[in-house]
Amino acid sequence: MTMTPIAIPKRTQSARLENWSRAFYRFRQSWLSIVGLAIVVLLVVIAIFAPWIVPYPEHVVGGTNTGARFQPPSANAWFGTNALGQDMFSLVLVGSQVSLFSGLAVVFIAIVVGTAVGAIAGYFGGWVDEVLMRITDLLLTIPSLILAMAVAAALGTGVWNMIIAISITWWPAYARLVRGEVIVKKEEQFVVAAHALGANWLRILGKHILPNIVSPIVIKASLDMGFAILTVASLGFVGIGVKPPTPEWGTLLSGARSYMPDYWWTAVAPGIAIFLAVLAFNLLGDGLRDVLDPKARR
Amino acid sequence: MALLDIKNLNLAMRSYEGETQILHGIDLKIERGEIWGMVGETGSGKSLTGLSVSRLIASPPGRYLAGSIEFQGRDVLKATDKEMRMLRGRHIGMIFQDPTTNLNPAFRIGTQLVDVALHAGHADPSVLGLGAGASRGDFKKAAKRVAVEMLEKVGIPKAADRIDDYPHQFSGGMRQRVLIAMAMIGKPDLLIADEPTTALDVSVQAQILRLIHDLVAERNIGVLLITHNLGIVAQICSHVAVMFRGRILEAGKVNDVLKRPSHSYTQALLNSVPTVHTKRGELMGLSGAMRETSA
Amino acid sequence: MLLYILRRLVLLVPILLGLTLLLFIVARILPGDPVGLAAGPNATPELIAQMKREFGLDQPLPLQYWNYLTGLVSGDWGMSVFTRRPVFADILEYLPATIELVFASLFIAVVVGIPLGLLTAVYKNGPLDYATRTVALGGIAMPRFFLGLLLQMAFAAWLDILPLSGRYPLIESPPDHVTGLYTIDALIAGDWSAFQIALSHLALPAIAMALSPLATIMRMMRSSTIEVLQQDYVMTERALGLSNRLILFKYVLKNAMTSTLTVIGLYVSWLLGGTVLVETVFDWPGLGLYATQAILTQDFMPVIGVTLVIAIIYLVAMLVVDLLYGVFNPKVRYA
Ligand SMILES: Nc1ncnc2c1ncn2[C@@H]1O[C@H](COP(=O)(O)OP(=O)(O)OP(=O)(O)O)[C@@H](O)[C@H]1O
Ligand SMILES: [Mg+2]
Repeated sequence: MTMTPIAIPKRTQSARLENWSRAFYRFRQSWLSIVGLAIVVLLVVIAIFAPWIVPYPEHVVGGTNTGARFQPPSANAWFGTNALGQDMFSLVLVGSQVSLFSGLAVVFIAIVVGTAVGAIAGYFGGWVDEVLMRITDLLLTIPSLILAMAVAAALGTGVWNMIIAISITWWPAYARLVRGEVIVKKEEQFVVAAHALGANWLRILGKHILPNIVSPIVIKASLDMGFAILTVASLGFVGIGVKPPTPEWGTLLSGARSYMPDYWWTAVAPGIAIFLAVLAFNLLGDGLRDVLDPKARR
Repeated sequence: MALLDIKNLNLAMRSYEGETQILHGIDLKIERGEIWGMVGETGSGKSLTGLSVSRLIASPPGRYLAGSIEFQGRDVLKATDKEMRMLRGRHIGMIFQDPTTNLNPAFRIGTQLVDVALHAGHADPSVLGLGAGASRGDFKKAAKRVAVEMLEKVGIPKAADRIDDYPHQFSGGMRQRVLIAMAMIGKPDLLIADEPTTALDVSVQAQILRLIHDLVAERNIGVLLITHNLGIVAQICSHVAVMFRGRILEAGKVNDVLKRPSHSYTQALLNSVPTVHTKRGELMGLSGAMRETSA
Repeated sequence: MLLYILRRLVLLVPILLGLTLLLFIVARILPGDPVGLAAGPNATPELIAQMKREFGLDQPLPLQYWNYLTGLVSGDWGMSVFTRRPVFADILEYLPATIELVFASLFIAVVVGIPLGLLTAVYKNGPLDYATRTVALGGIAMPRFFLGLLLQMAFAAWLDILPLSGRYPLIESPPDHVTGLYTIDALIAGDWSAFQIALSHLALPAIAMALSPLATIMRMMRSSTIEVLQQDYVMTERALGLSNRLILFKYVLKNAMTSTLTVIGLYVSWLLGGTVLVETVFDWPGLGLYATQAILTQDFMPVIGVTLVIAIIYLVAMLVVDLLYGVFNPKVRYA
């Protein structure tokens, strides 16, 4: 019965770096996540440079060309032209700006508000928790799309009004998520220790608890980006949202509705754009979940 | 013709690392009325041998490289899926280790018993005491009756009432009794029990073993009892097979093998069983050296 | 069990109170001038003041809320400035169309999604699995309104086998009103051709709404089935000779349903909210279309009414899910 001494493997990399490379390996394992990431990167690049790369920049600021109405897709206008003779390709490319920006803003605001509410409710418990969570629950029972539409309509057109309206319906989900995580983390040794050492609650929350619950928030946020974009487009589709000359995918699609099916290309281009953007963020989110939360893998 | 005759069974399993051969030429012959104990260290291939008899190893990952498993003269490895299904439950009963996970939690135990009884009854109506021309209703009624009888037989009090209970309403020992009832309800000729008492309390273990022993004696069937416990083998088995790394090192009557082990591994295994005579500090583990030499 | 249901129903009361208060506050804080919009650009101040009085908008807020609340209970849900009809009557008129649409799409999603999830779990990594998973990925990302447009293009315009929009041909009268669901009413009346007409109108919007929940249910079902198939009791059932069909569609299905059930419940709310999009595409005369019109004209009483109805349906659906949960998981006890 011999005991071989256990050789402790030499560390060639820091543990952190090793974690990252392993995480990246897991991400690469699924080619769908890579596809998602690629489309997202492409979208961001397009959104940033759209005004300079589109073939008909004058069309995206309201310029029309009534002589070339309803041209089918061709070498001149890849996605055809609409009722005003505007180039659909240019409109769709620039449309990515509103979608990406408002999607990002909605998720960001929802995270900030939701994290604040959830962290306070979870940390203090008691009646604070009760009140905050009852409000959260109430908001969760309301059909979010209808509420967002109503608020956006009341606030009037404009990107920011739309963003605020959607955010109102989105933060409760984050509040629930963060509250649950905070309650778990609150009981852990290092937090109890920090408390005993007299750290104040803001410090404990900000320094010790919140940094430890970044993963679930990031996972949810990346999955939510796609659905935020979808909601923005939905509002545009029913006629609430940005002001007309600014191209927006949902609005473009709704405008195309009256000319179906003869001028189908006016609907297909913005529709596919929405579809691709949502799909890409979903794939990316799935991939990130595999990386950050391997346990949740199917 | 033996009840079960395993000849030169070679099985390879595929896993992430690739295919490895697990069973290296298993030979085992079981006759009616014999209770075979199968012992061996963990990972030696006992469970896979037992599952092979009912051909329950999917391929992939499993692949039979050579050999045959003749059950009542027919090679199960060459049987069709339909023929296999007719064997399972009706001619070969199986019991597994953990009674808490082997009953379906979402169904009443009666439902599960009746379905097995119905299956066995369709293979052979006489199991339910029916003739060939019995109607659907007859089958259902008979299956329910047989289920209650079987539960009584395995010692569930008030069986007629408890048949409508869910598994979580039974204790571990009671659940294993229910599983034994399920395995025996089709009146099988061979029972394969894979560590049926390992997950149970010591006091319950003895009751369950006695139950198996009595049922076997009453029906004169063959048994393959897989276990880690040589004490159990000594108590209720008539024969024993010692497995090591996918091979059967020695096999035969319990008295012969346990009294006069011809193999050093068996000797070591016996030494590792504490008896009243074992002094403190004498209990031996199996050393690495022993494993190397006996492989 | 009955006691449990009763208690849950009683617990709904404070939730609904909170909900009405919340909705009321939201509606009043918001800027917007429904009366001004409804009265038109040429309205005199007198006319506007008179209309405000007519709708009770000149009273102090707490009183307005109290009036609203007592009204709710007695079936007076306020007036729609736009339709100039009681909101409650409007809702009663539009609700059956929405219920029919939501039920139809939920039905499609469940009846197709659950077996597909089971089968793809069994034939994991086979061609069927890859094909359905790819379609499912797309299905979840597909905007309902865009899918609706595509379906209209394909089946109504090009193939010309299904109607483009609407719920029933305008020139014909729908089957006698019993439930308000045309397909069901037609069946009750035994009118086969009316049933076919109603169904042909229902098909496209229901499919447009069903795709995403179908895909989610399928994915959920697939992963929970894969988990259940690895359970010990499945091995026991196989070892004792039960047929694959019996094991899969009886023993595995019930166990795999529990987690899928929650998803189905959540989709009730999603579907109801989504009617604002799909009903717009298909001119489906339901709550969604009604709410959209109301929202666009900043006519808030109907919006509050619709929201309240949807919230109630959602809360009841969650209760049903909880009860069903007990059916699938006998360990759940209602105390
Ligand atoms: N599904 C599988 N895929 C790949 N390898 C497997 C599989 N099942 C078992 N094995 C391997 O086959 C070998 C024998 O397994 P088996 O379960 O028969 O052992 P055992 O003797 O029953 O052990 P124990 O006493 O722990 O139950 C083990 O080394 C195991 O790793
Ligand atoms: Mg084993």
